[in-house]
Amino acid sequence: MSVSLSARNVVKRYGGVVALSDANLDVHSGEVVALIGANGSGKSTLSKIINGVVVLDGGQLLLDDKPVHFSSPQTAKQMGIATVFQELSLIPQMTVSENIWLTREPLRGGLVDHKNVRLRTEELVALFEGTHKFSLHPDSTVDALPPDEKQIIEVLKALSSDPRLIILDEATASLDSRQVQRLFELVASWKQQGKAVVFVSHRMEEIFRIADRFSVLRNGKTVGAGLMKEITERELVGLMVEKATATSVVQRQRQVLKKNGDQKIRLEVHDLRTDLLKGVDLQLRDGELLGIGGLKGQGQRDLLLALFGDLPYTGSVVVSGEAVHFKLPRQAIEKGIALVPGERAKEGLLYIRSILENLMLPSWAKFGIPLHIGKARQAASEVSNELQLIMAGLEEPVSSLSGGNAQKVVIGKWLLRNPKLLLLDDPTKGVDVGTKAEFYRLLARLCDNGTAILFYSSDDEELLGLCDRVLVMHDGVIRSELSGESLTKSNLIAASLGASNASLHEDPSSAAGHTYERRDADESSTAAPGPAGAGETDPPSESME
Amino acid sequence: MNNVLNRMRWQYFTLRNPYLFSLLLLVLAMLVNLFFQPDLLSRGSLNSNMRVFLPLVLVTAGQAVVILGGGIDISVGSIVSIVNAILATQLGSNASPEKIALMLGAVLLVGMAAGAINGFFISYLRLQPIITTYATSFLYAGVALFILPSPGGAVPNGISSFYRETTPLGLPLTLYVIPLILIAWYLLRQTRYGGYLYAVGGKADAAYETAVPVNAVQFSTYVISGLMAAFGGIAITLLTGSGSATIGADITLTSITAVVIGGTALRGGVGGVAGAVLGAITLGLFKNIISFANVNLWWQTFVNAAIIVVALAAPGAINLLRRTIGSRTRQHPTTGQERQA
Repeated sequence: MSVSLSARNVVKRYGGVVALSDANLDVHSGEVVALIGANGSGKSTLSKIINGVVVLDGGQLLLDDKPVHFSSPQTAKQMGIATVFQELSLIPQMTVSENIWLTREPLRGGLVDHKNVRLRTEELVALFEGTHKFSLHPDSTVDALPPDEKQIIEVLKALSSDPRLIILDEATASLDSRQVQRLFELVASWKQQGKAVVFVSHRMEEIFRIADRFSVLRNGKTVGAGLMKEITERELVGLMVEKATATSVVQRQRQVLKKNGDQKIRLEVHDLRTDLLKGVDLQLRDGELLGIGGLKGQGQRDLLLALFGDLPYTGSVVVSGEAVHFKLPRQAIEKGIALVPGERAKEGLLYIRSILENLMLPSWAKFGIPLHIGKARQAASEVSNELQLIMAGLEEPVSSLSGGNAQKVVIGKWLLRNPKLLLLDDPTKGVDVGTKAEFYRLLARLCDNGTAILFYSSDDEELLGLCDRVLVMHDGVIRSELSGESLTKSNLIAASLGASNASLHEDPSSAAGHTYERRDADESSTAAPGPAGAGETDPPSESME
Repeated sequence: MNNVLNRMRWQYFTLRNPYLFSLLLLVLAMLVNLFFQPDLLSRGSLNSNMRVFLPLVLVTAGQAVVILGGGIDISVGSIVSIVNAILATQLGSNASPEKIALMLGAVLLVGMAAGAINGFFISYLRLQPIITTYATSFLYAGVALFILPSPGGAVPNGISSFYRETTPLGLPLTLYVIPLILIAWYLLRQTRYGGYLYAVGGKADAAYETAVPVNAVQFSTYVISGLMAAFGGIAITLLTGSGSATIGADITLTSITAVVIGGTALRGGVGGVAGAVLGAITLGLFKNIISFANVNLWWQTFVNAAIIVVALAAPGAINLLRRTIGSRTRQHPTTGQERQA
């Protein structure tokens, strides 16, 4: 078996947003290529282009040195390309064996040969034998399985087509170490069989364990490629970080925010646990803009939802000095908490209803029975002025607004209630640059007025530019707390990848002279060894672990 | 852990036996019906019942395929009407056997064409199924009215009585159609297409990423539904022996109700045609019971609706009961996902 795939100068746009501007990747038989990049650098888009889920806008794909065009996943699959998707491609209501063999069910006389399906499923499941809690039964419904077993099924599904090229897109994210070990043994055997593997991962340790070569994406551009053994973790992180950071939008606004050590504590959380959260502690003062960072899906969303009473949790939450346990969002709202949810179209807005109605939704009670529509309109137009909402009129549906203006409405609907604590779930996702700047000014103003804000963002620049303090989440806990000097982009990325406070400090891109080995000499290192740039002997500021 | 195991068992159970509830309901309906009509299972009443139920059973089978694939077809009733109108106007009482065969073939094609129009709008132009088929239902109803402006027309007596009175091996002809539908469904389920159907209805994005031809599958469900509606139209024409352009109007929502009672989830991906067929028969029995129970005419609609509401609510009620008893699992208020408390 031999295969080689090259992506040359791939371009992909989504509307006005450029996801990939010049992406390149080469992968050949018998090797593992790590595709690396920060959040939103285009890794997933590139892998989706290779497997035909997304069609490229420019550039070229070469398979075995011949140009190919994948117009759908079917074409790519026929060419022997299989993918283990980060967001699993399993049908929840179907069984394990039905999922694994979907579209390639062994047939006998035109009908699906169930006996054969079952047999071959058992063979595949045996590859991961002993690494899962319940025996993976071919007839189990996928919906009922825990995340790690779903992930295993996803791997087996890709494997079942005996592909030549396998893309592992964050395939290890929900596996435990034993399962990862088994997967890597499989990867090693695939290499021997002459299969090619593209390994998309955030986990540096794993990348160094199995990858032969790397390719780094930054803002949709391939900025470096080479052999793993010729590069250090620190240099890799350096490649991922942009050297001249474009902070033109996010002006260092945090100077505007006043120091707030003497403000009273608005929110205190201790040992908060949900399915995803494994004990989160934090403290938030009035007038503070506290950032939450980390890779996607490390529990940030759960944290915000739990604090808003939208998710069952255990642990103690103290709001304004009063111990609370919210079971419903309504209770949280009554205590002056507001949430700007992650999916504004689905969770934050009544899309087809008017701006007025959306702004008034949480506050109708203020306007009496029967409603004083005139007064409500007055209040709504005041809010929309404050938000600098660009609209045709309050009666227009929210769907007529641009993404950024729609997001302003989500915040605006809470402003009428004067929230004491604002929870933001990646609020600037899909918002244009100009509106972002207005949005930041709004946040700064709210902070000045004493609102406490908990701000999760997938955009590192934002966290760096706006926040005094950033909590980096990893695998359901707050892995490190960055503030002051330690709040740098490279520290943020390193911490996202699982490094703890102790091993962070200096910006690796500017510290080329430091030797990598110095990390070992770092006696103050307490917790899990940080993968990314260490080499600084300053004592850790404070660990949240 | 216990909790997870419990969940697995329950889900396994309900997913593996989606027909269980509809079967129970059918037996219950039959027992009540037997009480009011002791000769329910005699050859005569079986025949008279089955030939009345059959049109709905046929239409429901097609509707179930669409709903399984994640869509819905509001236009089936109008397709039934078109078929009825065509047959009643084109055949007359003295059509030759060749003409009969030709026209039957033609109406099946018409049904499939109507389904293909729905399918094209929905799967290739990505329009909402409920809106699209609602709109085309008026279009098709209009066509039916155009063909047959006022009730009338006829079909040859011969085929009509063949439908009504033939009893091979002592059982009504119409009763044989049901095993045929079930066998066809069973075979379909054993093909790859059967798997695609559940995959597309279950999670279309994932199915697409797995290289399932999602558009083609969606399209095909509407063609199947159109075909089954045409069969239903033929059955209803043979039953009544005459034509009316509004004859199918009531059948649409009844077929959707039958599908749901039969254990198929309206969101798609769970259930099957067999349950839907049981559901259609159950609904027919409900109607029987009411007419035999000597309820006032104006109560009939009310009682019928009440029975349907109770039947629809029962699985939900069972679930609620289960959750309340099994207090160790808690339901997430908005996503409905179970989480460990």
